[in-house]
Amino acid sequence: MKRAFAGIVVSGVVACIGCGPTRVVAPGADAEAAGKIRATLVSASSAGDSAESATAATGTGWGTLKGRFTFAGSAPQAKALVVDKDTEVCSMGGMKLLDRSLLVDSSTKGLSNVVVFARKTGRVKTAAAEAALVFDQKNCEFLSPVFAARVGQTVEVRNSDPIGHNTNIAGTAFNQLIPAGQGTAYKPDAETGMPTMVTCNIHPWMKAYAVFRKDGYVAVSGADGSFTIPDLPAGETIEFQVWHERSGGPNGAVGLEKPELKWTPKGRFQVKLEPDEVKDLGTLEIPAGVVGG
Amino acid sequence: MNRFSRIAFLLAAGCLLSAGCGKTPNASYRLNMVEATKQRLTTEQEQQVATVLLAMFGTPDDPVALPEFGLDEAKLRLASGPVRSDIVGRKNGLYREHCAHCHGVTGDGMGPTAAFLNPYPRDYRPGVFKFKSTERADKPTHADLLRILRNGIAGTSMPSFALLSEPQIDALAEYVKYLSIRGETELSLMRAFFELDDDAQGKLPETREFLVDEMAGPIAEKWKSAAAAQIAVPDMPADIDLVASIAKGRELFYGDKANCVKCHGVTGLGDGQANDYDDWNKAIVEINKEIKGGLAKAGETSTSGMSAEDAAEHRKQVAWLGKFSHVVDGDALTPRTIPPRNLRLGVYRGGRRPLDLYYRIHAGINGAPMPAAKGTVPPEDIWHIVNYIRSLPYEFDGELGADRPMVARDRF
Repeated sequence: MKRAFAGIVVSGVVACIGCGPTRVVAPGADAEAAGKIRATLVSASSAGDSAESATAATGTGWGTLKGRFTFAGSAPQAKALVVDKDTEVCSMGGMKLLDRSLLVDSSTKGLSNVVVFARKTGRVKTAAAEAALVFDQKNCEFLSPVFAARVGQTVEVRNSDPIGHNTNIAGTAFNQLIPAGQGTAYKPDAETGMPTMVTCNIHPWMKAYAVFRKDGYVAVSGADGSFTIPDLPAGETIEFQVWHERSGGPNGAVGLEKPELKWTPKGRFQVKLEPDEVKDLGTLEIPAGVVGG
Repeated sequence: MNRFSRIAFLLAAGCLLSAGCGKTPNASYRLNMVEATKQRLTTEQEQQVATVLLAMFGTPDDPVALPEFGLDEAKLRLASGPVRSDIVGRKNGLYREHCAHCHGVTGDGMGPTAAFLNPYPRDYRPGVFKFKSTERADKPTHADLLRILRNGIAGTSMPSFALLSEPQIDALAEYVKYLSIRGETELSLMRAFFELDDDAQGKLPETREFLVDEMAGPIAEKWKSAAAAQIAVPDMPADIDLVASIAKGRELFYGDKANCVKCHGVTGLGDGQANDYDDWNKAIVEINKEIKGGLAKAGETSTSGMSAEDAAEHRKQVAWLGKFSHVVDGDALTPRTIPPRNLRLGVYRGGRRPLDLYYRIHAGINGAPMPAAKGTVPPEDIWHIVNYIRSLPYEFDGELGADRPMVARDRF
């Protein structure tokens, strides 16, 4: 009996070897379906012409979309960031750098730094951006918490501090040393989708977001929460994407209860403009829970 | 021994013998469950990704490539599959013999030995490689991969495979490219679900236009164009005064222009900015933050005042956080910080030729916090920094003034 017990113990021990953290079972591939897909991929003919690819370019004229984001709740007290380096520049005269992830204007309740952009449009008014933009940093803080530019537009990444920084844009392989008082030109070469994080590795508290779009139909809400996107193509249904840094939605999407705009949990809504129309969405109130207030 | 105990003993012995004696299941690629869960994919969507990847890339035993990928299937066959000899006695299955135990069958850097190594083995799936002769945003050249395989990476667990034959090393480099294109395509596919229009009903189009032209094609294209993206390095001036150059490099190292001191430290021991992460580990750190913050918030939220819909939504969110936490436990290694390189050891991971150091400073190190100096630091200054860095392991008291390194035992 004793031996049998030992045998069970031994086999138990053996069975246990290799039980590391259990991995969630991943679903397997469907071999039959894969065979069919492969057949379409290797067939040389580029069959199935992309009929439904681009939004049909219909309509003429241009319109403007406006609106204002507000925060439903009391304006939160911004926390001070931990600044433990280069303090003679980064906290000059005892100045404290604040966490800017939830900036609410106390009088108007306006929520800043909400990003709105068109997902795709059939027509674009200006083919490319002309003017160069400046993305600056001073006193160890990026001056634009959320920065929007067009793909191919020249962005002058500048350092107005007497100390060196580096500017690291996640997902783009741009991570460049910016010496004191200097700058370097950067041309975004692809769309970001949702905004991507910008950091300085030398000063880890420094954080901003960048959003790059081909068509330039993107706006960042200002101090009072308002935004304007001009020169949108009229006569077509345009789907817009809304994002905020603190949103708990997928990839930072802001979902609102607005059935009249077909607002989805993925933070998208639809608008159709008439030529020369200035459509004002009015006040768009974001519940405190949505942006982790 | 009575009858009962004899049966029990035989049963136990039988269990012991049968453990591991069955037919070994075929190796399979593991889905990137961390990204799948992050993107909140449904089981059907995860399965669609697995199916599409099978169609485009085959299995670990039978890898395939599309002509657009620019990969040599004969080389892939030599590197893939179980370890065996083919009909002419040539060794096959090289990746599983030499690489998979660290880098994993999937190339996810999660092989069985990965957790014991520091630094962790490279996860090829994001398509980011550190030590190369190309600009930061570009892929390494084939020659860059061959060099790493031949020389190994000093200061890490990556050994030299110089004893393998040229065709074998060549096949392994090709297979690494294949795994990387596959992994990066997988990431693109998983992220594409979010970009779908609502009328797609959560299913990716299984057309050539989408899968090849939009998803895998652009990734493969970057690998194909790597050779043309090599950094043009001006020669170090032949008549350079080395002592003066080292002094200039030292000035740059400590100055505001090159700023090396901020991370590599005033002593050059790599003890400046010591709490940063590389991109692979940072991704997990950010996910852990999201899970922790989400669970804390869920703990404070009471469902009692909620509408039925909101409560259901809340439960869904909590379930997702729980699943995510479970997935990260099993499918990611515990994040580790990345210390800046200690420049007094004379050990350089990407190679110790002056040219290698030039590449690292010019382009920075992709995936790591090390930024690029190109554009803001002119080439002759980069050469001065290279010369100073190469002198650092040999700098002794008084040679260059008062800023000598601290004696190690005085540091604590």
